[in-house]
Amino acid sequence: MIPSAQAGPESRPATDAEPDGSTPLRLQVNGRYREVVVAPATPLLTVLRNDLGLNGPKYGCGLGECGACTVLIDGIAARACVIPAGGVTGRSITTLEGLGSSDAPHPVQQAFIDAQAAQCGYCLNGMIMATVALLARCPRPTDTQARDALAHNLCRCGTHIEILRAVQRAAELTARATADAGRLTESPE
Amino acid sequence: MTPRSQSPRTRADFHAAAGVLVVVREPPPPPPPARGQPPMVPGDPAEGVEILLAVWDDGSVTALHGHVDLGTGIRTALAQVAADELNVAFDAVTMVLGDTACAPNQGPTIASSSIQIHAVPLRLAAAQARAWLVERAAERLGVPRDDIHIDNGVVAVHGDPARRICYADLVAGEHVELRLDPDTRVKPPGRHRLVGQSIPRVDIPAKATGGDVYVHDVRLPGMLHGRVVRPPYVGLDAGEFVGNSLLAVDESSVAHLPGIVAVVVIRDFVGIVAEREEQAEAAMRELDVRWRPVPGIAGLDDLEHALSANPSTRRVLAERGDVDATIAGCARPMSRTYVWPYQLHASIGPSCAVADCRADRATVWTGSQSPHVLRADLALLLGWPNTAIEVIRLEAAGCYGRNCADDVAADALLMSRAVGRPVRAQLTRAQEHTWEPKGAAQLMQVSGGLDGEGRAVAYDFSSSYPSNAAPTLALLLTRTIEPRPIAFEMGDRTAVPPYAYPALRVAAQDMAPILRASWLRGVSALPNSFAHESYVDELATEAGADPVEFRLRLLDDERAIELVKATTERAGWRRHTAPQGQQSDGDLLKGQGFAYARYIHSRFPGFGAAWSAWVADVEVNRLTGEVHVRRVVVGHDAGSVINPAGLEHQVHGNVVQTTSRALKERVAIDARGAPEPREWGAYPILSFREVPVIEVLSMPRPNEAPLGAGESSSVPGTAAIANAIFDATGVRFRQPPFTPEVVRAALGVPPPPRPPVTDTPSRAQARAAIAPGRRRRWWGVAGAFAAGLVGMVAAVVGQRPALAPVGPSDPALFTVATLERGRQVAAAGDCVVCHTAPGGIPNAGGRAIETPFGTIVTTNLTPDAETGIGRWSYAAFERAMRHGVSRDGRHLYPAFPYTYFTKLVADDMLALYAYLMSQPAVSNRVVTTSLAFPFGLRAGMALWNALYLDPGPLAPDPARSAEWNRGAYLVEGAGHCGACHTPRNAMGAERRGDAYLAGAVVDGWEAPPLAGLSHAPVPWSVDELERYLRDGHTLHHGSVAGPMAPVVRELATLSAADVRAMAVYLASLAAPAPDEKAAARATVAASIATAATIRGPGQRLFEGACGACHHDGAGPVLLGRNLPLALHSSLHGARPDNLIRVILDGLGEPATRELGFMPAFRDAMNDRQIAELAAYMRERYAPAKAAWAGLDAEIARLRASGSH
Repeated sequence: MIPSAQAGPESRPATDAEPDGSTPLRLQVNGRYREVVVAPATPLLTVLRNDLGLNGPKYGCGLGECGACTVLIDGIAARACVIPAGGVTGRSITTLEGLGSSDAPHPVQQAFIDAQAAQCGYCLNGMIMATVALLARCPRPTDTQARDALAHNLCRCGTHIEILRAVQRAAELTARATADAGRLTESPE
Repeated sequence: MTPRSQSPRTRADFHAAAGVLVVVREPPPPPPPARGQPPMVPGDPAEGVEILLAVWDDGSVTALHGHVDLGTGIRTALAQVAADELNVAFDAVTMVLGDTACAPNQGPTIASSSIQIHAVPLRLAAAQARAWLVERAAERLGVPRDDIHIDNGVVAVHGDPARRICYADLVAGEHVELRLDPDTRVKPPGRHRLVGQSIPRVDIPAKATGGDVYVHDVRLPGMLHGRVVRPPYVGLDAGEFVGNSLLAVDESSVAHLPGIVAVVVIRDFVGIVAEREEQAEAAMRELDVRWRPVPGIAGLDDLEHALSANPSTRRVLAERGDVDATIAGCARPMSRTYVWPYQLHASIGPSCAVADCRADRATVWTGSQSPHVLRADLALLLGWPNTAIEVIRLEAAGCYGRNCADDVAADALLMSRAVGRPVRAQLTRAQEHTWEPKGAAQLMQVSGGLDGEGRAVAYDFSSSYPSNAAPTLALLLTRTIEPRPIAFEMGDRTAVPPYAYPALRVAAQDMAPILRASWLRGVSALPNSFAHESYVDELATEAGADPVEFRLRLLDDERAIELVKATTERAGWRRHTAPQGQQSDGDLLKGQGFAYARYIHSRFPGFGAAWSAWVADVEVNRLTGEVHVRRVVVGHDAGSVINPAGLEHQVHGNVVQTTSRALKERVAIDARGAPEPREWGAYPILSFREVPVIEVLSMPRPNEAPLGAGESSSVPGTAAIANAIFDATGVRFRQPPFTPEVVRAALGVPPPPRPPVTDTPSRAQARAAIAPGRRRRWWGVAGAFAAGLVGMVAAVVGQRPALAPVGPSDPALFTVATLERGRQVAAAGDCVVCHTAPGGIPNAGGRAIETPFGTIVTTNLTPDAETGIGRWSYAAFERAMRHGVSRDGRHLYPAFPYTYFTKLVADDMLALYAYLMSQPAVSNRVVTTSLAFPFGLRAGMALWNALYLDPGPLAPDPARSAEWNRGAYLVEGAGHCGACHTPRNAMGAERRGDAYLAGAVVDGWEAPPLAGLSHAPVPWSVDELERYLRDGHTLHHGSVAGPMAPVVRELATLSAADVRAMAVYLASLAAPAPDEKAAARATVAASIATAATIRGPGQRLFEGACGACHHDGAGPVLLGRNLPLALHSSLHGARPDNLIRVILDGLGEPATRELGFMPAFRDAMNDRQIAELAAYMRERYAPAKAAWAGLDAEIARLRASGSH
């Protein structure tokens, strides 16, 4: 079991700007408004992981090169390690946790589980988030489109083949989920 | 409810529990001392027997194993083994891996031995538990043992299924401990139900949903954050300077930073503990640490020589026949040298650990591959007994060997001990890259040859592998252990070739590391096999034989022969006796290569793991030298397979990683003699675009023992690729990586033709590009001249009168409309841009502006009576704005652009005064600007004004539209565009005539030429100018950065009509744009065509560091604007300043949010790398422009000038 403090010392209540330059920031994360008191230049990744206790986005390079920290901002893939938290107030931030849970995974998460698309899994967050963003603008990506979209998400274990299969599976599951949702809304009941 | 299998944490918990059957073993005796092998730590008798398995009274099962899951899936595979042997459901089993408090000590997770060797005790324990349970069930049910069967933990009587009892009931109320009986009979292969099935991995759902999985996810109450500052002897771990180089740490250098809890210094160990992670990170960058001069490593650019020269001990591993005589008698003798480069483990996540050190006990959470060995290191570090430290192993980013996981655990422990609270230590990407024990370089030398019949008759092989176990860094930095060069005996893995050469001699040259180095996947076997399999291929060519047939003649291992035949058949091997060089479309040469190996692990003679064979199909671009591995067919014989899907996945991973290492990976050494790569651009790994099609052929061997699997498939890969490149090109490559520049050089490809350079630098540009040293001298001459002049004049003219201070203004006197008008004038004039210190309160002054005459500090513009302009009358304000004279009568310097503000109409001037006086007063006393003689004599400015100031408002041009005139008023007045964009003369005045708006350097940034002098590839139109000023970016010109960004933020608050008017006026200064879109398309097309022809280090830096956000369309869509760099002004100018500044310092505060953010590469790339990157970008994006000269010096200068 991993010890996980629910409310660490960093989850302080919001107050006025503090002498050390930290200021209250209101962030919309996974559909909820969260207030944190941090220096506005603090990387969004640090705030998500340390102040909001989220595990999905990972620290990989701090330079936006590897994609392990990927989140969605207003539905667009973004590299949380290079984005100052103060720069994304008022925008909608989605992390891996905001997609689904292990009991009720998002279709893209389910596709990655189905395709067994992880070895160590450290890059997996970025692969899933990038795939969600890809499918939102390109619901049926070709193999080339998938490779292009993930070209700057690094994987060292060499899970690329399984990840590319997962992207195709994700496209199927997403299409199916969309169709199901369509049927539900059309249904008189 | 949590199953009982998950509750015990320590061995004692197992021993004390009721309702459980436990299988234990005596800790194995300490292994016999083996020289130069990975450390094994003997079991501690104080900890008693080792727990292997527990069957609980709720039906759950705990299975324990000393190895850890490095992403290879052994958590799942071992649970399959235990569940199958016990006849319980798969999900009844909880695997405990590696934790020192309860898992057996089975040494480091290395040598692919987790299944092949170390699963055996667990399997025996499960079989023994099953036998005990069956015995007990038969007794309870009153039937003979043979009359019962077991299904999913339920024992039932044959033919009478109602008579049954489950495992849970059999152990209820009991506490039984069985000693492991090594003679226990395990299930025969045919009876397996779970072993051999592709059971989904148990760890993936949590990984896919953000569960608590990784050591990085540990969060303890009261936990602090730690960073380390590593010494300057980067990547070195032996030598007297290690642990002996620290001179001083100046803690006051971080005293101004918030949240710092402690700076921990123990000899060369320096750690910083802070309340928050970003605070520790900031302190790590700012802490002033002084070190003694330290050595670097020289000569690693010639690895063959460096390894030959490294002291070594020769160890002959095998010898048969008279090797020397046979070689001497060869009809065609052949000597070859193969060289392997230094490579990185390159874990995607830099190492992390959490330590909680109390008075006499410590708990450490780690991603180590060797928890028991780590515990012994940590005990040594603290001088504590092993048993006082508990190491809990959690998952981490894949390591593929010894990375920094152990190092950071020791770092965390030292910092936690210092502060008495839990500390999470996280290494940076640069620290992981530079300090990880590298996968060692290796030198393989082969002599041998063919007899008259073309038979291979001799093989004399020696291998030099400078690597050891890389002692945990903190032990060395604190000098707990001595930093001696330690030679290991690990160069012998697969050192003996698989071929029956009649005369054979194999020797390992055992040697200490040069760079800090330790095992990386394939250890020495992978380079050794590269040599074996390249050499045998060379022999085949020499003999005029097909490479596969030639090998088959030399193989005597039946399983190997079957594998080679099956793999080549599956791949459609094209038999050939000479390089085929098949040309496909255009410039691509196609080739096919083969290689085979069986990985022999551990100290010679070691043990064999799986057999593996590759057929690789490659394409070589004969112009760019780029090699693409198109398809790999990999045959594999791992005996019986626990989890076929898991094995296939591992083989895929090994093929991808090996392809990456073969084509791309090499640790370059910088000018200081240290590992150079600090980020992924300088150490690229295979990307999705480059991943080959992989077909795995698994030999069916259900009745054979399972063998170490995945890693074996990496071993033959590099030779298969090199052999395929030979087949395509006829050229042998004996030193990976096979990068485009290496291939081009070997093929003798001339550099690709470049479009002719169309710009001849103007004289202004040429002057701008001269070296800074010379420029300073030029200013020096001007300064001397000015000094004499100003000194004389100052004596004559004197100071202007002071104007009386007045009481505070009452903002209520001003109308709302006046205040709004004043706000717009202030915004157009960008007052706040210069009058605000970095991070300071707006308009409170204090920003230092570098000028050729010295540093000018801007004043406090807020209406504070003492430190601001609160006591300035309107007359004093207007005099300052129109004549450059302060209230007290002193002259102001023209860095304050009163030569423009003098053009303001009276209403605007008054409104601006009203607006400034209505702002909150801020008390902020700024340093008074004090320039050196003669400029310190402010009175001299009177003469300057007489020469250069043209006071009074601007006359409108009746021939022009009202919009144009409005634009002219804004640009030439409040907006003062020319103040930055016009070069200045020796007196600091703007030059006139053709030089107007001709571009200048301001505060370390180039304000590019505007209007007709613009060097943008697409001429500026009104619409583009308007967009640029309003949004901070346009498709045809890129985005703003540096001092222009805050200007755009101010302009955003002006009316749309005013911004448009400025654009109209500025556009009118140049000839109207022809077809903009066509020009833009042509420029982008030229750049894309050029891009396809450039392959090399600069291109790789760009792809790795910049390519995610900046690409020509085929790439990820990320937050922010991906504007075509081919149209970006900064790539087309005469000076590289703006590009370099953005690379160094990033864009943390873009002009508008939609632009997105860019990180700073100042700490991630050295000057040489940035020069390489900038030169590449210039060549790719502005192919018609001349290369920038003197980049290295420019970068050094801009880096030294600090960030702005």
